[in-house]
Amino acid sequence: MLTPLLKLLRVASLMVAVALGSFALMAASPVDPVQAYVGADAVNVSPEQREEIAERWGLDEPPLQRLAAWAGNIATGDLGRSQIYNEPVIDVLLDRAAATASLMLLAWAFAGVLGFGLGLLAGATQGRWPDRALSWWAYLLASAPTFWVGLLLLYVFSVWLQWTPVCCAAPVGTLPGDATILERLHHLILPAATLSVVAISPVLLHTRQSTIEALESDHATFARAQGERTPGLVVRRVARNAAGPALMLQFAAFSELFGGSLLAEQVFTYPGLGEATTHAALRQDVPLLLGIALFTAAFVFVGNALGNLAHAAADPRVREEVAQ
Amino acid sequence: MLGVVGVLAACGGNTTEGGAQGNGQEGQRTELRLAIGGESEEGYDPTLGWGRYGSPLFQSTLLTREDDLGFGYDLATSYDVSNGGRTWTVELRDDAVFTDGEPVTAEDVVYTYTTAAEQGGLTDVTGLDRAEATGEHTVEFTLDTPRSTFADRLATLGIVPEHAHDEDYALHPIGSGPFTFVDWQRGQQLVVERNDDYYGDKPSFERITFVFTGEDASLAAMRTGAVDLAGVPSTLATQEIDGARVVAVTSVDNRGISMPYTEDGLPLRRALNVAVDREALVEGVLEGFGTPAYGPADATPWAAEGLEVDDADPDAARQILTDAGWRDEDGDGFLDDAQLTLFYPADDSLRRGLALNVADQAKDAGIEIEPKGASWEVIEERMHDDAVVFGWGSLDPTEIYNLYHSEEGGQGFNNPGGYANPQVDEHLDAAVQTADPDRARGQWQQAQQAAAEDVPWIWLVNLEHTYYIADCLDVGTPQVEPHGHGWPITAGIADWTWTC
Repeated sequence: MLTPLLKLLRVASLMVAVALGSFALMAASPVDPVQAYVGADAVNVSPEQREEIAERWGLDEPPLQRLAAWAGNIATGDLGRSQIYNEPVIDVLLDRAAATASLMLLAWAFAGVLGFGLGLLAGATQGRWPDRALSWWAYLLASAPTFWVGLLLLYVFSVWLQWTPVCCAAPVGTLPGDATILERLHHLILPAATLSVVAISPVLLHTRQSTIEALESDHATFARAQGERTPGLVVRRVARNAAGPALMLQFAAFSELFGGSLLAEQVFTYPGLGEATTHAALRQDVPLLLGIALFTAAFVFVGNALGNLAHAAADPRVREEVAQ
Repeated sequence: MLGVVGVLAACGGNTTEGGAQGNGQEGQRTELRLAIGGESEEGYDPTLGWGRYGSPLFQSTLLTREDDLGFGYDLATSYDVSNGGRTWTVELRDDAVFTDGEPVTAEDVVYTYTTAAEQGGLTDVTGLDRAEATGEHTVEFTLDTPRSTFADRLATLGIVPEHAHDEDYALHPIGSGPFTFVDWQRGQQLVVERNDDYYGDKPSFERITFVFTGEDASLAAMRTGAVDLAGVPSTLATQEIDGARVVAVTSVDNRGISMPYTEDGLPLRRALNVAVDREALVEGVLEGFGTPAYGPADATPWAAEGLEVDDADPDAARQILTDAGWRDEDGDGFLDDAQLTLFYPADDSLRRGLALNVADQAKDAGIEIEPKGASWEVIEERMHDDAVVFGWGSLDPTEIYNLYHSEEGGQGFNNPGGYANPQVDEHLDAAVQTADPDRARGQWQQAQQAAAEDVPWIWLVNLEHTYYIADCLDVGTPQVEPHGHGWPITAGIADWTWTC
C-alpha cells in the first residue's frame, strides 16, 4: 500500500519542482511579453496602451504574487487563461494534445516496431553487410536534423511526387467533422514519418548492442551447441533479452518525441502542442507555458512508469527486483 | 474579350464529362484558398486589434481607406469635425445588420469604441475621452486633444455587436462585414463564407479559406495548386511557378538607420547619408523587390518632396567629414572619430544583410561601422547611444510624429536617437491638431523637410511585398501595404474575381 502513496508523492513533488523551475526561468527571461505581443506595431501603440495590456494580463502585479495566485487557481483545477490565445489554457491543451497524440502515437509505434526489428537483424548479422548498412543508416538518421528531414520529405513526396499533402491535419477547406479517417491518415503520414526518424536510431542501435551481447552469452552458446540456427535463436532466445532496453528506451523517448514533434509540426503546419510551446515560450505566455510544462512532465512520468511495467512484464529478473 | 472566349473554349474541350471541373469556368469558381499568414492568435475581436491591417472580413468599419489612402464611407454616411478638432460627429447608415439579424445601432458603435479604449489590445484608442449616441444613427466622439489622425481609427476599428460581445466573441465573431465566420482551426486554417445580407457590394467568392502555412509550405502549396495566392518573402519569389505570376506590391514597409542625435555627430550622419548606395541595397539584399528610401513614408500622400540625396558617393561623404575638421591621424584609412556600432535584430536576415552592406559601403568614405546582431532586449538598452537598423511603415501618419517628435524620445521604441528640433515639433503638433486634412498633410511634409537637414534617420530601402497569384485570379490594384507582409493584401478582397 506504501508504494502507490510514495509514487503519488513523487509525482506531486515533481510537478511542484517543474512549476517552480519553469516560473523561475520565465521570471529571469529578458523577454518582455507586452513588447513581444506588440511587435511590429510598436510605434502605433502608446505607453498608456501598453499599461492597459499589462493590466489585462495581470503583469502589473509582482511575480511572487502572480505565482501564488496561479498556484491557488491550480488547486481549484483552473489552469488560467492563455495570454496569446485569449482562451482557457485547458482548452488550448486539450485541443492541441489530441492532434499531437495521434501524430506521436503513430511515429512512436512506427519507430518502435521498425527500430526493434531492424536492431535484431543488425545484431544477428554483426559485421556483415546488413549490419553495416543499417548501422550507417541509423547514424545518419541520428545526426540529421528533424527540420531538414521534414523539408526533404515535403519536397520529395508532396511537391515532386505529389503523393502526400503539403500541410495541415485535413484537406484545405474541410470543416472539422467532415474529414474522413483516411484523409486524416493521409495528412498524418509524412509528419509521423519525419518524427519517427528522431526515435528510430536509438532503439535500433541499442537493440543491436543487446542482441550482440545476448548472442555471446552462455545460454545462447548452449542453444547453439544443441543445434539451434541463428534465426530461431534470435526469435526464441535473444529477442526477449534485447526487448528490455528497447522497451525502456521506447517509453523514455516520449520526451524526445515531444521535442521532435515541435519541429515536425512546424514544417507541416500541423497544429499540435509543439507549435503552442514555441509560441508560449517566445511570447512569455506564463500560464500557457506552465500548463504545457505540467502536462509534459506528467506525460513523460507516465511514459517512464509504463516503461517500467512493460520491462518487468518482458523480463522476469526485473519483475523480481521491482517486487523486492 | 475574344481571348477569354478562346481560353474558355479550350477549357471546355477538356471537361466534356458534364463539367466536372465546374471550378475552372468563368463565374463558376466559388471558392478561394489563400496562404498569406496573418493568423490572429487571440481571435477575431476588433476591440483587441483584429483588422487593423487589411480587411476585418467579419466586421465593418465606419470609414474605409481608399486606394489613394484617403478616406471613404462604410458604415458612416458622413462625418463632421468641430470644436477645434476635438469633437467628431458621425452619421450612420440605417440598413446595416449583424449576421445574427440585429441592426447595427449607434449604441453598438459607442460600445465598440469604449471597450477598445478600456481594453489592453493592439488597437490604441487611448486618446478618446468619451463616445456618446446622440441619436439613433448618430455618434459623437470627444477626444482629449484635437487629433487629425482619429480618422485612421474610424477606418480600422470594426464594429462589434454589444449584445453578442462576450468572452468567446473572438472565437465566434459576429459582425456586419462582407464575410461570415464558419470555422477556425488554430494554426491551420480559417474558413469564411460570403455574407449574403451585406449592405455593400457582395464578394464574388462564396467561400474563402485562409491557410496558415509557413513560408516553405506556402510555396509548396502554391506549386501543387493547393492554394491560389501565397505570400512569400522576396528571397523565395525568384522561382517560376506554372499557372501563377509573381506580384510585387508597393509598401511603406521601410528599413532605415536610427542615429544617436548629438551636436558633434551631424557631419557623420550627413556623410553616411550620402555614402550609402541605396540602389545596390535594393538589388543585393532585396533581390530587386524594393525601392530606395529617403523618408519614412515615401509611398503615401504625406510623403515630402525634395528628400532625395545624391547617394553612393563616398568621396562627397569624406569631403563632408574633412570639411568639418575630421582627420585620419593614425593612418588606418578611417577618419579617427568616424566610428559607429550598428545594431540589428540577430534573427532578421534582411536587416543583417543591410547592416553588413552599409558597413561595407561606408568603408570607402572613411567611416568605420561595426555591425552587431543582438536581441531586441539588448537593442532596447543600446538604441539611445548606438545606431540601429529599424523597420517602420504605417498607413497612419501618427508614425511620423512618433519617429521625429522630441517628446517621443524615450517612449518605447519611438524616436530612439533622441532627436529634438523645436521647428520640427511645431510642424508635427500642427499636423496632429488641425481639423483640415489638407493642412495636416502639408504640415507632415514640412516636418520631414525640416528634419532632413539634421539627418536623425538614414532611410535605406522600401520593401515590395511579394506574392504568387494564380493567373486566373484578379486582385485589382493592391493598396500600398504597411509594415507586415501578407494580410494587408486582403484590403480589397471583396472585389477580387476569377477570370478564367
